[in-house]
Amino acid sequence: MADSAHSSSGALLWSTAAFVAGALLHVDRIPLWASAVAVGCAAWQLSSAAHKVPPVSKALQLILTFVLVTCVVFTFHTLNGLPAGTVLLVVMGAIKLLETKSRRDQYIVIGAALFLLLAACLDRQTLARVPLYLAETLLCCTALVMTSYADDRLPVRVALRLAAQSLLLAVPLALIFFFFFPRLPGGFWALPASDTALTGLGEEMSPGSISQLIASYDPAFRARFAGPTPAAAERYWRGPVLHEFDGYAWRRGERQAYPREPLRYLGTAFRYSVTLVPDANHWWFALDTVVRAPSSEASLTYDYDLISSEPVTHAITYEAVSYTHTEATEPLPETARRMETQLPLNRNPRTRELAANLRARAASDADFVRKVIEFFRTGGFQYSLTPPRLDFDSVDDFLFRTREGFCGHYASAFVALMRAGGVPARVVTGYQGGEWNPIGKYFVVRQSDAHAWAEVWIDGRGWRRVDPTAIVAPERLQRGILDILPGALSGTTRLLHTTPLFAKLWQEWDALNIAWTESVVKFDLNSQLGILERLGLRAADWTALVVALGGGLVGWLAWIAWHVGHSAGPRPADPLARAYARLCKKLARAGIARESYEGPIDYGARIARSRPDLASRVEPLLARYAQLRYGPASASVPDEVDAFRRLVLRCKPSHAS
Amino acid sequence: MIVRRLLRARISRWARRRQGADQLPVGLHRRRIYILPTRAGWGFALLLFCMFVAGLNYGNSTALFLTFWLGGFALVGMHRCHRNLLGISLQAVNAAPAFAGSTSRVELTLDNAATFARLRIEADLPGMPASATDIAARSAARLTLEVPTHTRGRLQVDGLRLSTALPFGLFRAWTWVYLPLEIIVYPRPRGSLPLPNVSGMTPGTQVRGGLGGDEWLGLRNFRDGDSPRQVAWKAYARGAALLVKEYCSANSPENRFDYERLPKLDVERRLEQLAVWIVDAENRGERYALTLPGTQLPLDRGPQHRHQCLRALALFGLGAANG
Repeated sequence: MADSAHSSSGALLWSTAAFVAGALLHVDRIPLWASAVAVGCAAWQLSSAAHKVPPVSKALQLILTFVLVTCVVFTFHTLNGLPAGTVLLVVMGAIKLLETKSRRDQYIVIGAALFLLLAACLDRQTLARVPLYLAETLLCCTALVMTSYADDRLPVRVALRLAAQSLLLAVPLALIFFFFFPRLPGGFWALPASDTALTGLGEEMSPGSISQLIASYDPAFRARFAGPTPAAAERYWRGPVLHEFDGYAWRRGERQAYPREPLRYLGTAFRYSVTLVPDANHWWFALDTVVRAPSSEASLTYDYDLISSEPVTHAITYEAVSYTHTEATEPLPETARRMETQLPLNRNPRTRELAANLRARAASDADFVRKVIEFFRTGGFQYSLTPPRLDFDSVDDFLFRTREGFCGHYASAFVALMRAGGVPARVVTGYQGGEWNPIGKYFVVRQSDAHAWAEVWIDGRGWRRVDPTAIVAPERLQRGILDILPGALSGTTRLLHTTPLFAKLWQEWDALNIAWTESVVKFDLNSQLGILERLGLRAADWTALVVALGGGLVGWLAWIAWHVGHSAGPRPADPLARAYARLCKKLARAGIARESYEGPIDYGARIARSRPDLASRVEPLLARYAQLRYGPASASVPDEVDAFRRLVLRCKPSHAS
Repeated sequence: MIVRRLLRARISRWARRRQGADQLPVGLHRRRIYILPTRAGWGFALLLFCMFVAGLNYGNSTALFLTFWLGGFALVGMHRCHRNLLGISLQAVNAAPAFAGSTSRVELTLDNAATFARLRIEADLPGMPASATDIAARSAARLTLEVPTHTRGRLQVDGLRLSTALPFGLFRAWTWVYLPLEIIVYPRPRGSLPLPNVSGMTPGTQVRGGLGGDEWLGLRNFRDGDSPRQVAWKAYARGAALLVKEYCSANSPENRFDYERLPKLDVERRLEQLAVWIVDAENRGERYALTLPGTQLPLDRGPQHRHQCLRALALFGLGAANG
């Protein structure tokens, strides 16, 4: 069979290029050695085809396979899941490259490249990657042409044009299927989630842990408000609440310590949707304080956090309702009071002493809070992202020695003082603020907006938010941390943030990304039904989708058959020949078809003999054609040809009676 | 492989019943072009299925779009593959005679009247390697198939297939051409018996080999087996085809080859010996006559005569169609 035929060097080059490009789509996700293996094998195979290096023997290939698969297992401890599967595909494809000789091998290599493209799509579908995916698709398709032609005589430009044209013709079908192929509401099986959280807030806060986040310009989530938007000083996005203190760091604690207190909601209700940037964490962020869990995938905890059952591995969007002012309707249970006033017994002694002093002079819990706030305001504290390292007794060290720090230090010290004074208090981490994107009309909340604040229980009012950082550095709430401490960011990000032109471009790009995510990436069954409804179908369901899909498919197939077949037949090149063909067709319908060997004059003579009724009308036309076609240079006179064409149009030969 | 071949033969017979026999020129119209996915095409379908399941399961829009896009791409490829073959016409088939044991060349002339080029049109016979050619827009191209021969006689060639897998190798469109195509296979020239008595001006004179004589006859095309000394090198150097100078001796010997007068060899050995003599005599530029039981070819020389003699040998004893 022709399939086993040896292939050309052009085909080898293109299929290899398609594979290497497929592997490089993952270059920042797979170990460096895997990329190196792919590039190395490709280079070796190409040099070997050019007889510069010997081909790799079968035995060596086997050894390589064994070693590399062992490496994959050793790195990932599994061959399952997307990351390990991708690396395995890269490695096995690279070894397949080494023994690529026949056309069949090249088809396999191109198949591997397409699988790598699929893996890349499953991994990331951001707008910035789309051009890469398009290029890789074109590369694979061109490689298909080169491989099936298997001869170096085919110019690359022809192969590229063939592939590009066919891909363009396929776009309408892809769009029809994309819009109308019914999506599944849920998957057949769950995504093997990678359990390594990338960035974001964790369940533990030690002094300094938040500063790493603050240095990151990456978005954490985006929020779009329907209706009123809260002021900057009200935009506290609640994240993990930390209850347990060991004298140095704060932790969330695993168990539910007390029931969720019922709340009375005051003031404006804020309705908004949040789109999370996937970070493999479990936290869903919401404006403080959220009323209920937005969906069944997440639950509202006893301390008004949202926790999802699955790690956030793709861009989840949820709708939420929050009130920035609330009031507790019931007193704090005794167990809660006990827990939220707990401190490690023999740690931070000077803090305890200070708290005792202040508490003794305060008339009430609220007064005590005011006195501690006063202490922070007048104590000579400085806001800094690069504070000195703290001692084992971190609060003592901070309050009495360094007096320099950022949100984490202040929240930690404040809550410790509260608890030492017998007032229930807890640390809340989350984000504060967010940058308004005027193009997309939403807030971008970045990792650099990460924040920590305190909550204290005031009898009769409930948990009140106190932000000691805002007391020390009030501008923190009005402007982002980047404007206060531009040194927190790297040079390029700072440039991006502070140059108005770049900042605007960046905002536009971000808005474009969001539009892409919302309209394409998150396109699902509901969006499909929405389209049908907009097309005028009330109560659209699966059946309507299938009908739309079938109609589209049939239409496209007809169009393609027409488009491709259109140019298949030999088409008369000039208007004169077309007019003559039309005349012959008319005569054929009238029952006297021209034989392929007959010239116009002979044809006319035959018509005169067998159909005298037509002769007077048709014979002059045929003679005219012969004259125009074969006479001296008259076919090039457009007027003459046009006159002939009109005569042909008017000629209506009747069928034999 | 065996199953494939048997299946192909079966389908080919079915198509033959459906289409009937062909006559030149054979236009490849819609009703006779068949198309199926190749192995690569089935592999591609499997790949698309995996992409589809993955995309649907994870609700991954990009993967789904890619699946649908590549699916459409393959369908466009199917139409283009079909179009690549559609409308070609097979203008001529020339099967050159060959000596048994050598390869006969079957030359096909394919005409492309369309305004686009045809890429890699393949032709093959069952069980034999394909050969391929491109046909530029509005032009014709030749394809040569090599058919090995084994025994003298008529070699019936059946199941000629024209096909293409371009542009993407995912589909193969093909058509079967049922032409009464036969190759005359001469007996293998084999045997070392001396020439029978040569009658001429001087009977028994050893014929001078090579140049054949001194009377200029003309030029003819080079044939396998011609001596390099006979080649008209000067003409060749001027860019002409490879030609051979022919001379005819005034006292050209006359060879009379008679089947009956050969010693008691079996039939095939006699035919082979006669073939040797004919080829030799023609190469020397001598005239020869051939007498077979029931057939008489008069004294003559030249390619036409040579072919007629060898053809008579090839078909000797093979039934009524000898003439």
